[in-house]
Amino acid sequence: MGFHLGLASEEYDRKYRDRDLVKRVLAYFQDHKQSMLIVILFLTLTSLANSLSPLLSREAINQLETTRDLGYLILLISVIFVLNLLGWIFNFFRQKYSAQVIGDVVLTLRQDVNKAVLGHDLSFFDKYPTGKIVSRINTDSRDFGQTAGYFTQTISSFLVVIIVIIAMFTINAPLTFIVLGMVPFIFITAFSFRKIARKRTLEGQRALATVNSFVQETISGIQIAKTFRQEQKLYDKFLGVNNQSYRANLRRAYVFQFLFPILSLVQAFALVFIMWIGGLNTLGGQMRAGDFYLFLQSLWLFFFPLLSIAMFWPNFQTGLAASERIFALIDTPPVVIQGRSNIILDAFKGEINIQNLDFSYIEGVDAFGENIRSGKERIKVFNNFSLKIKQGESLAIVGHTGAGKSSLAKLLTRFYEFQGGSITIDGINIKEFNLKKYRKKIGIIPQIPFLWADTLENNVKYGKPSATKEEILWALEQAGGADWVEDLPKGLNTNIRERGNLLSMGQKQLVVFARTLLEDPSILILDEATASVDPFTETRIQEALEKTIKGRTSIIIAHRLWTVRHVDRIIVLDHGKIVEEGNHDELMQLGEHYAKLYNTYFRHQSLEYIEKAREFTKTVKEVN
Amino acid sequence: MSKNPRDSDNNLMMEFMAEEIDPFSNVRQRGPKRWLTAHILQGSNKIFVLMIFSGTIVYTVLSSGIMIIVGNAIDEFISGNSTNFALFIVLIFAFGVASPFLHMINGLLTETLAQRMERDTRHEFYTNLLGKSQSFHDQQRIGDIMARTTNDVRMLNFLISPALSLIFESFIGLIVPILFIILFFPTQLLLAPILFTIFFLITLRRYVNRLGPVSGRLRMEFGQMNAILNETLSGIEVVKGSATEDHEIRKYFTNAKGYRDAFVEQGEIMARYIPLLLVAFAVTLGLGHAIFLNLEGGGLEIGQIIAYVGLLSNLRFPTFISIWTFAVVRLAVSGAERLLEAMSKESDIDENIKGQTVEIKGGVSFKNVTFIYPGSAQPVLHDINFEVQPGQTVAIVGTTGSGKTTLTKLISRLYDLTEGQVLVDGYDVREYNLESLRSQISYIEQDVFLFSSSIFENISFGKTSSIDQVINVAKEAQAHDFITKLPEGYDTEVGERGVQLSGGERQRVAIARAFLADPKILILDDSTSAIDSKTEDKIQYAISNVLKGRTTFIITHRLSQIRWADLILVMKRGTVIAQGTHEDLIRTSEEYRAIFVKRFDLEEDQLLKDVAVV
Repeated sequence: MGFHLGLASEEYDRKYRDRDLVKRVLAYFQDHKQSMLIVILFLTLTSLANSLSPLLSREAINQLETTRDLGYLILLISVIFVLNLLGWIFNFFRQKYSAQVIGDVVLTLRQDVNKAVLGHDLSFFDKYPTGKIVSRINTDSRDFGQTAGYFTQTISSFLVVIIVIIAMFTINAPLTFIVLGMVPFIFITAFSFRKIARKRTLEGQRALATVNSFVQETISGIQIAKTFRQEQKLYDKFLGVNNQSYRANLRRAYVFQFLFPILSLVQAFALVFIMWIGGLNTLGGQMRAGDFYLFLQSLWLFFFPLLSIAMFWPNFQTGLAASERIFALIDTPPVVIQGRSNIILDAFKGEINIQNLDFSYIEGVDAFGENIRSGKERIKVFNNFSLKIKQGESLAIVGHTGAGKSSLAKLLTRFYEFQGGSITIDGINIKEFNLKKYRKKIGIIPQIPFLWADTLENNVKYGKPSATKEEILWALEQAGGADWVEDLPKGLNTNIRERGNLLSMGQKQLVVFARTLLEDPSILILDEATASVDPFTETRIQEALEKTIKGRTSIIIAHRLWTVRHVDRIIVLDHGKIVEEGNHDELMQLGEHYAKLYNTYFRHQSLEYIEKAREFTKTVKEVN
Repeated sequence: MSKNPRDSDNNLMMEFMAEEIDPFSNVRQRGPKRWLTAHILQGSNKIFVLMIFSGTIVYTVLSSGIMIIVGNAIDEFISGNSTNFALFIVLIFAFGVASPFLHMINGLLTETLAQRMERDTRHEFYTNLLGKSQSFHDQQRIGDIMARTTNDVRMLNFLISPALSLIFESFIGLIVPILFIILFFPTQLLLAPILFTIFFLITLRRYVNRLGPVSGRLRMEFGQMNAILNETLSGIEVVKGSATEDHEIRKYFTNAKGYRDAFVEQGEIMARYIPLLLVAFAVTLGLGHAIFLNLEGGGLEIGQIIAYVGLLSNLRFPTFISIWTFAVVRLAVSGAERLLEAMSKESDIDENIKGQTVEIKGGVSFKNVTFIYPGSAQPVLHDINFEVQPGQTVAIVGTTGSGKTTLTKLISRLYDLTEGQVLVDGYDVREYNLESLRSQISYIEQDVFLFSSSIFENISFGKTSSIDQVINVAKEAQAHDFITKLPEGYDTEVGERGVQLSGGERQRVAIARAFLADPKILILDDSTSAIDSKTEDKIQYAISNVLKGRTTFIITHRLSQIRWADLILVMKRGTVIAQGTHEDLIRTSEEYRAIFVKRFDLEEDQLLKDVAVV
């Protein structure tokens, strides 16, 4: 808003050199050379027009003491009028075109950084929270744009000050020095002020953040407070944090209220000196009334420009820091890169061969300049891991958390890059496939279903935008039936809200199944949900799964009883190694790893377990 | 609310809404402007406002006065008269120092007022939120409420400082120079400032009207851009998996382009701010006019010309500052509207303070209950009938959206039904005192909410208790073991900054909390996932403990709980399609049977094998 003076802005540690940053920023403006030329031209013209007006006014007033030529005076006043008009028009074009240039540059910047971010593999997104990336793409670029706008404003101010000061020097050097005497005071005030303001602002923001999180938390838990009738308790706490924020922000606001009065004081001293020295000069006959006029006007004319020049450097640094954060994001190289062969296949047969796989979550170049937590990431997930999966086979992977189940799925989809060994599909190294076409042929159903804040229809056809309504309904039908769709307010056209929140957990899973079926992948990778869903939906999910894995090479990270009993083969992973494999019956007979896992994770889903639980509770009830 | 609200020592929430503590409840109904005015002028604020007004006038007079002194001084200097030289310098110095000093005091007062405004409106809003019924809170998204308590309340601060204070300063800044011209200069010199004022007001109005919608659009586009990007990045795995990066890039571009267009449009409107031209014209016109008078011999000295033009130059500040002050006012008023809108939504539920306050036993029956959400046409519940004896356990099963949760909310009157009757111990729930009824009914939510304080405080939230009592109930709820393993035991902070508890652990803390509250009717939405059988066992045990001796409604996915319930309600699309015990239903209900047959799909011998392994 109004006073964009950067008084409370942060300082950042930077890695890029100023020169390199400026060069890159300028490169973005290069595409708008013509508009930039227009901006610069009008900027200069505006400054000229604005600085000529007071000079001509001085001339007019001086005329009153000498020739008093009416015609000449009328001419001068008319010229000033024209200058006023031109100054306004020039300024209009400057602002209009600079808004366009800045708007376009910010747009290009956003587009570039967004492309760069979306090009990254998942290791990047693991490292950086979504909120941070969003703020870099949107907020930093906006701040950068603001600085750029502020930049042209400052240059314009600077030009006016320079032109008028040169003119003033030719008229009266000592008085000019008095006016310039304000400069160090304005700078010192602005700088020392900035220091305090930053500190106070930080305190104020913290206090406010406390209030906000308090309100957020208590309103989220309002039902608990109401059930237990604890409103008074919350209210008393609120009074405390609200008052604390009031005091902190009042202190901050007070600091800001000192700035302008102090600067006005500097101005007042300059005025007194001008009147004093200028008065003596006039009494001595060396100075005219018009000169007085010019110097007095300059005090007012220079006030804001000088302040904005004083704040230029910190502001400029803020803008550079914003651009640095953006460039750092653009410059981070993606880890997963497509091989040179760029093979495109219409479909896979689905024979997978993993040989001597080595993998650990190694960090790429750190874009956010943060300390990388070392140690944990370096632990090898797979060391010399091999696995063959036949065409059309369904394979369940079971194991404790951290056994490498999800990692395996994520390597097959090339979400991460592995360091050693090879994965081939139908005999071709997966690194040689065209990355996007490859991923399209692999259907992935993540553990937590993700849906878009869009219509149900668009969600189902997300991977195949050309799908017809019939195909969509077919896919939903395959995924456990489409009758529930009719219960939605607008059927297929219902907007299912952020993350599909209008739907139940189970329905979300069904939609994801339908989405995957519509893509008709050659290979299915399914990370089963652990969340329990209502029994009705549960049976549908089973049906959907049954249809989906039929005739398809499928890899399932299993959490459901039904799954482990229906797949062709189960492998038990432990610390990145296969410790057992076979089907359910064989492995149960073996009575080792799998049998243990089964008793911990799967057995309680079975009917037999429930019967036992009932007995157990009965005994408990009787004992009590 | 500047009267210390701590004075109220009555605990009942009703009190918060009472007249003497909430003095703005009447003003709220009269629109945002009246409400804002009432806040600005409340209590000791009036004196502040008065001081700010007079302070502004005095320092504007001082800074305009300087121009007059300067003009007179110059005239004397030109005429070679130096007798008053020192006096002039001292006067200019005095005025020059006094003006910023007053300005500062004024600023401090204004800020105090502004911060008070923020504090008091937030206080009013929050108090109001606490007093709202649960049905209000159910209908609000927390993000929306937060936007109001943060941004909208903040805007009211900005409304005072800088917006209104600057507008007032601008107004005085227009009036005072004109008064000075009337006092010290030939009347005809009013021409330039009067013409300026007229055209300024007209063009300013047009400007504000044009800028408003564009600024609104700009903010909206930015919000959208954030939302879209956030969504894409949250779903990055889906984007990559479906290889739709290009689609997402295009989507973002379309959005960013919308923002860019609004930005450029706003830039153009701001560039076309005509008052800046007008003020330049006014100064030049004044200069020309004054020079003309001097030439005519109208008795206007050169120093006076300088003073006059100096006064006109003072108009630059109000002109410049108005580029955005009015936009802030507009934002603040719409912020106030949003706050009032939320506050004016009153509860539909009749509290029935005179109603029964007896201790209930826990018998519940529904008779032909139909419920339609206010403002909706479709019934969520349709013709529901069932009966529960005190102490029984009812399992409710059905897909999400079949009305399970809504049904339970009718018992504690979080909603009032549309048709039929809900009876507790044979009396219609509407005959009870609402406070009394609700105090005997507890909920354990699906997504258990814990406050970010210690485990001890969370468990004893509803009832001040000793540590021994808390440990006892924690043991009953199977929570004691995991709590003692936490770094600081019962003093461990949970929630945002502290230890993250798993779903199963949170649930057991909530069960402990319910033990302490000891409700007669317990409603348990138990849909959390449990991954291993140990946790599952513990939760089962805790639940079987908590439902002893009270009527319990369990919304559940756990077949084990469904099976041991005294009554099972099978719901579909807002109706109960079947009810009875497990043994009844497995025989009579096709739908119910489908769950068990489909879900397990097991051979007899398979079952036997499993048993053998165990």
